[in-house]
Amino acid sequence: MKHSVNRPPTPDAAEDQGKEPTLQEIINIKLIESGEKERLMELLRERLIDCGWKDEMKALCRAHVKKKGRNNVTVDDLVHLITPKGRAYFGHSKVVGNQ
Amino acid sequence: MCLRSSSYTSPKPCKHLADYKLRHAFDGYDSLQNCLKTTPIGRTRVDNHNTKIPRCNFCNGYLGRLYICLMCSSISCSTHILLHTQSKSGHDVAIDIERSELYCCLCCDQVYDPDFDKVVVSEQIKGSCPGRSNKRRRLDSGMELDLKKSKWLIAMRDGRAKSCYPLGLRGLNNLGNTCFMNSVLQALLHAPPLRNYFLSDHHNRDECKRRYGEKLCLLCEIGALVSAMFSGDRSPYSPAQFLYSWWQHSSNLASYEEQDAHEFFISVLDGIHEKESKVRNSSKDDGDCQCIAHRAFSGSLRSDVTCTICGFTSTTYDPCVDISLNLDTVNLSAAEKTGLSTLSGCLNLFTRAERLGSDSKLHCQNCQELRDTSKQLSISRLPLVLCLHIKRFEHSLIRKTSRKIDQYLQFPFALDMTPYLSSSIVRSRFGNRIFAFECENSDSSAEYEIFAVIAHSGMLESGHYVTYLHVNNHWYKCDDAWICEVDEGIVRASQCYMLFYVQKLLYYKANKDLSCNASVESR
Repeated sequence: MKHSVNRPPTPDAAEDQGKEPTLQEIINIKLIESGEKERLMELLRERLIDCGWKDEMKALCRAHVKKKGRNNVTVDDLVHLITPKGRAYFGHSKVVGNQ
Repeated sequence: MCLRSSSYTSPKPCKHLADYKLRHAFDGYDSLQNCLKTTPIGRTRVDNHNTKIPRCNFCNGYLGRLYICLMCSSISCSTHILLHTQSKSGHDVAIDIERSELYCCLCCDQVYDPDFDKVVVSEQIKGSCPGRSNKRRRLDSGMELDLKKSKWLIAMRDGRAKSCYPLGLRGLNNLGNTCFMNSVLQALLHAPPLRNYFLSDHHNRDECKRRYGEKLCLLCEIGALVSAMFSGDRSPYSPAQFLYSWWQHSSNLASYEEQDAHEFFISVLDGIHEKESKVRNSSKDDGDCQCIAHRAFSGSLRSDVTCTICGFTSTTYDPCVDISLNLDTVNLSAAEKTGLSTLSGCLNLFTRAERLGSDSKLHCQNCQELRDTSKQLSISRLPLVLCLHIKRFEHSLIRKTSRKIDQYLQFPFALDMTPYLSSSIVRSRFGNRIFAFECENSDSSAEYEIFAVIAHSGMLESGHYVTYLHVNNHWYKCDDAWICEVDEGIVRASQCYMLFYVQKLLYYKANKDLSCNASVESR
């Protein structure tokens, strides 16, 4: 990958270095580094298909695109559309903010 | 080299991508090649060989969508990617790190370039190559890429394209003449609304125990069953706990005798409903009930009773969770029984106008007298899941015996219920006049697809039930503990007892507690 000579400085990152990473962050990072997160994600993807979640999200997106027109919809639009509905799909679970 | 097959057209690049390509051609893509990593399942991600995980330059976040700039390799999250392109002119195109997809920062949208895809695909093939399967051909990395072939190879490597059975198929052990239960459970657990409901944990067993104690809950038992069926474990499962719970609920049926599958089906739905109405303290009639059993199976039948003298019609509506059909060749003489017995024949029989005998005259409001009447049934509201029960028993009052009717019944895999709707039936009664219909749900479709067949073999007192399930375009026979794939011809030739159809266009009503308002289109 090309590395630009004039790489922008990393402003806020430097400030945040001072903060202690939370336990959640440490665990998350360890999961990613070890590759386990990828396995979990794959399992999650399978389960979401099985319980009909993916079909429903796909249908929501389709309906939205149909309404707005194929060329007037962006990925960002769709993400903002289905994120709350995707979380609401599941009954009693409380989703801790993760994105 | 062929880049496009006739059925696939690549979206046009946005002008920012086009500009980038003009200025930099393949430079960015080529240097990307060393940074792509393919996971065993087939997802390709961008890996910068850093020891640290990728983080956004602006907020240090590492969650959500992260993009790497094609020009300067700096990483931004979806919230801050716009800032990056605004601070650096010409840095318009980035790559989604997790998915290896092009993203235009100015259009805020995913963009497509066959040249980019070629690079990604060639890396995926390289990654899969070394001795993973002797069936797959070895590819020389220097070989020219044929996009069509590589697409096929990618499809082959999809972990889900397994030759083994889809998730959710698992045998159920016979616990003593319980094939009636096993067969119905297989059908119920694969009914899309019920399967989705339990798999998305709408009835959380821990919460249920916490709120209502250890009391027997049929919903919890079904939830446990669904979990077991979809756990991935293929060894036959013994639904003993469920059987015990059901016995508690339907104590009159609690025995090891053979029983009727339809009776069991009704009793399970009843058990689910009972628990739900206890929970909500509601005594809503079945039509409005929001328990999962009614949401899935509840429909409404319309009955028109017409006075044959004055024509006055009195109409009533009754909720139903299934439709019991008489075989269309019953009561025909031997000479008349020439044709094939079909499901549409049975449905026609069900909805035809029937003259009630003169020994069952009814009081006509108009005439103020007892009159001969004609009665006609039709469906005013179709359920999400349509259960059709074929009445294969005949009771002879004269001989005081019952016998089973083995008559073969032909049934379709795709069913259109339009002709049996109240609108169609009433319309045809008056020579196809236009009527406005109140009770009809115009949003739901009348088109159904079959997903389960419960077949019976043997005699009335002793027989065997099996269930045929339609999953992922394949048919599977569930015979207690044994599951095997079967040809659709076997299913068509079977002696059907209960047929389960689901609406092609599923429609979930919005509900405050539960999931969202959506229209689901089946593929």
